[in-house]
Parts: sequence; structure tokens; C-alpha cells
Amino acid sequence: MTVYAIVMTDRHVDENVAVQLGRAGADKVLACEGPGLSAPALDVTHGSALYAAVERIPPLLVLFPAGGTGAQLGPGLAARLGGAFAASADLEVGEAATPLADGVGRIFVRRWRGDRSSYRRLDPVELERPVVAVLPSGGAFVEHGTADVEVEVITCVAPAKVGVTELSSEADEFAAAALASTLVIVDPSLGEAAFAKLAAAAPAGVVVVDAAAAAPSIAMSVPRVVVAVGGRAPAIPGTPRSRVGAVLGSSAPRPPRAPADVMLKTAKGASTDTVIDELAASLPALAGGTTEKP
Amino acid sequence: MNIVVCLHAPPPDPDGSGLGRDDTVALAQALTLADPDQHKVTAVLAGTSHESGPLQRALAAGAARAVRLGGEDYASVDFHTLGQALASGIKRIGADLVLTGARSDDEGLGAVPAATARNLGFPFISGVEELAAAGPRALEIVVRGGGRKRRLRVELPAVLAIVAGPRGASLPAGSTANPTEVELMTLADPETTVVRRRTELLGKPEPASRGTEEVKTAAALAAALTRR
Repeated sequence: MTVYAIVMTDRHVDENVAVQLGRAGADKVLACEGPGLSAPALDVTHGSALYAAVERIPPLLVLFPAGGTGAQLGPGLAARLGGAFAASADLEVGEAATPLADGVGRIFVRRWRGDRSSYRRLDPVELERPVVAVLPSGGAFVEHGTADVEVEVITCVAPAKVGVTELSSEADEFAAAALASTLVIVDPSLGEAAFAKLAAAAPAGVVVVDAAAAAPSIAMSVPRVVVAVGGRAPAIPGTPRSRVGAVLGSSAPRPPRAPADVMLKTAKGASTDTVIDELAASLPALAGGTTEKP
Repeated sequence: MNIVVCLHAPPPDPDGSGLGRDDTVALAQALTLADPDQHKVTAVLAGTSHESGPLQRALAAGAARAVRLGGEDYASVDFHTLGQALASGIKRIGADLVLTGARSDDEGLGAVPAATARNLGFPFISGVEELAAAGPRALEIVVRGGGRKRRLRVELPAVLAIVAGPRGASLPAGSTANPTEVELMTLADPETTVVRRRTELLGKPEPASRGTEEVKTAAALAAALTRR
């Protein structure tokens, strides 16, 4: 099996980027160079270039990292390839010691439903079509390859008529949520002081967001650990290997709209301030857990 | 301008209106955009008559027309098939702008809008948070990605997948004033034969079945999440 890394850029691909991809395990780097391709990805501006690159391979699996690009480009690519799409997935490697039967693969994609109620196990070999999947955030960098990687440049021609013009661009205040390994989602009804306390205590890799204000970014995130604080958490993102905790007040009418692996329902009469203080003190441990189980 | 809003019947929710959150925002945005004298909002749903609740809700909220695509069992088809069916219906209706919820399909994949756009031959943008008219054939939209929050001008036609923003959206209260009934459109003629794909059918559903552990303290919560 050959692992290709695809880089989309409007100038010559940075050698350091290629080296980093090689060390991460890429056997070959495909550099799609074309006007406008360094901009944040949209299907309408990047989709045809990505398809042109993918079509050269052709792939068994197309994997996107967390961060929003997969949500923008993945569905369109799957539609063009006629393949399956998994918006939130992880991989499972079969451990069969004997040769596999025809039509059975060794790598499976576990595709989690949006509400995390169940997943489907997709075998790209059995499907006879590629699977396009978005993987979760986090995990420490692990060196799987070498810096000596072949780079192939593909010159991409801009679509004749895109029909999209950028009017303005500013830093996304919730960008960190899309890349968070541990995402703490706080019900705004708990108040600004509770939110500020948790945000101040969050170590690197742990991102605290307001459930309402950051709703679109939460929907696009694929964290490994999720903690929903308060009784009105939104639909909780996650993958088969995500771990989900819920902190609910004793008067919470019902649990969050997703199954929690661990639930803390505070005792009747317990002070919310005390629970928030305790949770803030526990956030470093959650960051540690993320690192231990990439 | 003809605006088509693709709806999906979500699983029953005791607090819900029969519409998914993203679908509600898409419909509200369409109704806000539409000038009754110049624009027409049509709601479309592929499903059975038992699943037409969202269409009736759309009519009550002010949609001019509601169309149910029937003649197929859409419950067991993949996103390619559903996208093809929706595109076939939309072509018959005629659309300059197609709005959908970003994650409103059964599995929250967000892939149906892309397949619909592909079959229509329209440009597709996902994760749209805000939109406003920018002339007769263009919109201004807000999307996030790559660490940026961008305002874009988009020429029509286009398929835009809407994601609910911080404020969500509320539809006008249900009204009985709209006498329009949900129309049935069958896709049974040879030109719109739906080709069933098999990308999803071989996937095997498996229950999560991990159970929920109850703890008494925040430290125990963190420890349990780290241990799992």
C-alpha cells in the first residue's frame, strides 16, 4: 500500500512541508499548484483540483484531517468518486494472520452517526469504491517515515467560472474548536464567570467553547474527548473512539442529545461554583488523557 | 428567483418541530431572502406521506409550494441516490438557489447536498452560517475554514448547505391561512430513473453499547474519561 499526501498551494510547495509529511509517513507527496489554492478550501474553488489529483492514484481511502477541510471537500469528492463518505470516522486494521479472501479488505472505516448512537463498519475492498473519511483531532506526532520523500507537482488550472469572490476575511475566533483534542462545551446559561473560569484553566489541547456561540464550529469538530457542561448541550460531535462526559445540574430535565460515556450529575443543593472549580482543576488531567491515548 | 429548500424528516424529538435544526435555519433563511413579488420558495422532501410533516411546517411558515418526491423507498438509499432524486425533482421545479441543512441527513454526514449539487451541475458550498441578497443573481455568505471567517459573494445558481449559527432560527408561527397542499412528484419516468448505488448498503450497523458510567465528582469524571 502506498500513502500519498496531497498539498494544495498556489505557489511551489515548501520543502519543509514535504519533509514533515514524509516523516509523518507519506510515501509520496502530490503538490497541486494553481491560482487560489492556498486560500481556505471550498468545493467550488478546490474540488475539481483535488479530484484531478485523487484520480491519478486511484485511492482505496481518502483521509482528511480534522479542521474543517474534510467537511468542505469530503462530500463533494465522494460525490465525484461515487464513493462512500464518513464525516466522523476512525480506522480499524484487521488482524487476520491468514491471507484474506477475495473481496475482503484489511482496513476498515468505522463511520459514526452524527448523533453518535451507532456506527457502520465500511470495507472499501468489499464496497469496490473508495471511502472518503474525516479523522479525529489530536494525538502526538509520531514519526512513521523518513524525510526523503518524492514530490510530484500537478499543475492545476483554475476553474473557468468559479462565481465566488472573497469580500472580507478575518481570524475565526472559534478556529481552535475545529482542531481541539479535548472540547469542553459549556451551556451559556451557566454564566460568563463559569465559562471564564474553565477557559482560564484549560491547558494546551483543551478548548472551552460556548455551546450557543460556537455551535457551527462544534458541529464541524471531531474531538477525541468531549465534556458537555450544563443541561442544554448541543448534539455532541465525536467518533467511535471519542470519550464523552457530561456534567449536569441536579435539576437538568434530561441528558444531552448524545450518549455519554461518563456522567456527573451533581447532588441536589450542590453549588455550581464548586462543581465548576473542581472541573477546572481536572482539565489538565483530561489533556493528559488525550496525549496518552492518541 | 426560485429558491428550493431541501428538507429531511428527522427522527422523532419530543421538543422538535419536525424539522432538524439546520433545516429550520435553511428554511428561515429562504423565507427571509424571498421577496413575495419576485421570489418563490419551494420546500422539497424525498420520503413517504408519513414523513411530510416538515413540508406542512414549511407551508405554514410561508413557503409558496411544498413537493414530496415519492415513488421510491428513500429510507434505505445512499447519499448518491438521494442526491440524484432530489436533483431530478429540483430540475423539474426549477431553481436558482438550493438551500439545505448541512448535517440533516439520517447519519449527519452532510453528503446529500454535495450529491444534489453534483447532479444539478451547480456550485456547492458547505457550512454557510449567514446569507443575504447581493443583487438579483448573487448572495453574500459567511463561511469558516482554514482558521478564517470569510464573507463571500456567490453568483447563482448554487447549492448552499446551511449550518445553524449561534442564534439558530425561528420560523413564523404555524398558520392555517395557507391553503396549499403538499404536492406529490413521482420520479418514475425513464429520464429520471433513480440508479441505486451500493456504497452504504454493505455497511453493517453496530450499536455503541458502551454504557454510561455515573460518577460523583469532576475529578472522577476526568479520571474515567482518561481511563476509557
